[in-house]
Amino acid sequence: MSPSAEEAAQALREIDAIKERAAGFQDYQAESAQLILWGAANSIGLVATALFEQHLLLIWVPLVLLCLVAGALLARRTNALLPGIGWRYLLILGAILFLIVALHAVFWPLSPEQGAMIAPLFVGVLYFLRGVLLRPRYLVIGGALAGLSLLSFLFAGPWFWWAMAMTWGGTLMLSGVWLGRR
Amino acid sequence: MQTPDEIIHQPVRLKIMAALNTLGSSQWLEFVALRRIVDTTDGNLGAHLNTLESAHYVRIKKDFAGKKPRTRVCLSARGREAFASYVAALHAILELQTLDTDSGETGD
Repeated sequence: MSPSAEEAAQALREIDAIKERAAGFQDYQAESAQLILWGAANSIGLVATALFEQHLLLIWVPLVLLCLVAGALLARRTNALLPGIGWRYLLILGAILFLIVALHAVFWPLSPEQGAMIAPLFVGVLYFLRGVLLRPRYLVIGGALAGLSLLSFLFAGPWFWWAMAMTWGGTLMLSGVWLGRR
Repeated sequence: MQTPDEIIHQPVRLKIMAALNTLGSSQWLEFVALRRIVDTTDGNLGAHLNTLESAHYVRIKKDFAGKKPRTRVCLSARGREAFASYVAALHAILELQTLDTDSGETGD
C-alpha cells in the first residue's frame, strides 16, 4: 500500500536528518584524529620548551614539520569520506603558520610567551566560529581552547609553558577524544 | 503513481540507505560508523543489512584492519537508483496531496 502524504513527509524529514547526522559524523571523525595529533605534539613541544627555552626553533621546527607530514597522511586516509579534505587541510595549516609568522613580523619584538598565544587564540576563535555556524561541539572546543589558554597566559606566571601544555595541548587532545566518541 | 520501494520503506533500512547515499559511488563505510549514524544495535543493523544485500542494494565486504576484523558497507549502483526512485516517489506523493488540496480549495 502506498504511504500517506504524512508518512512520505516524515520519511523525507528522516532522510534529511540522517544526511545531517552522517555529515556531522564524518566531519567529527576526521577532526578527531587531527586534534589528538596536534594536541600531543603541542604538549610535547611545550614541555620541551619549559625545559629548554633557549632552543625554541630547534624544538618547534622539526616538531611542526613532523606533524604536518603525519597530519597530511591522516587527512589522506579520511579523504575517502570527505573529498578535498587534503588540500583544505594544508591550506588551513598554512594560514595558521602564516598568521604566526606575520604577527611576529608586525609586532616584533614579541616575547616567546606572547608568540605562543597566537595559535591557541586563533584556533580557538576559528573553532568557536565554526561552532556558531555549523556544529555545536566546535563552540565548546573553541571556547575552551581560547579561554583556558588565555587563563594560562594571565595567571600561570613562571609555570606558563607547563600550564599551556595542559590547557592548550591537553584540551586539543581531549577535544579529539570527545569528537571521536560521538 | 510510483509506489515507494517496500524494502527501503522501513525506518532502519531507510536510515541505512540515506546514510550510505551520502557517500561517493566507490566509498565504503565501516559497520561501526554506520551503527553510530543509524543509532541501532549490532544485531538489528546486521539483519537489515542482510535484507538490503539480498535485494542487491548494498555490498558488504569483510576483511582485516591489521589483526582486527572489519566489516564495511557500500551502496551498490542498483541501491543508489532504488533510493533515488524512492525519494522521487515520496515527493510525488506529497505533490499529489498538494494538488488535491489545491483543487479542493478551488472547488469550494
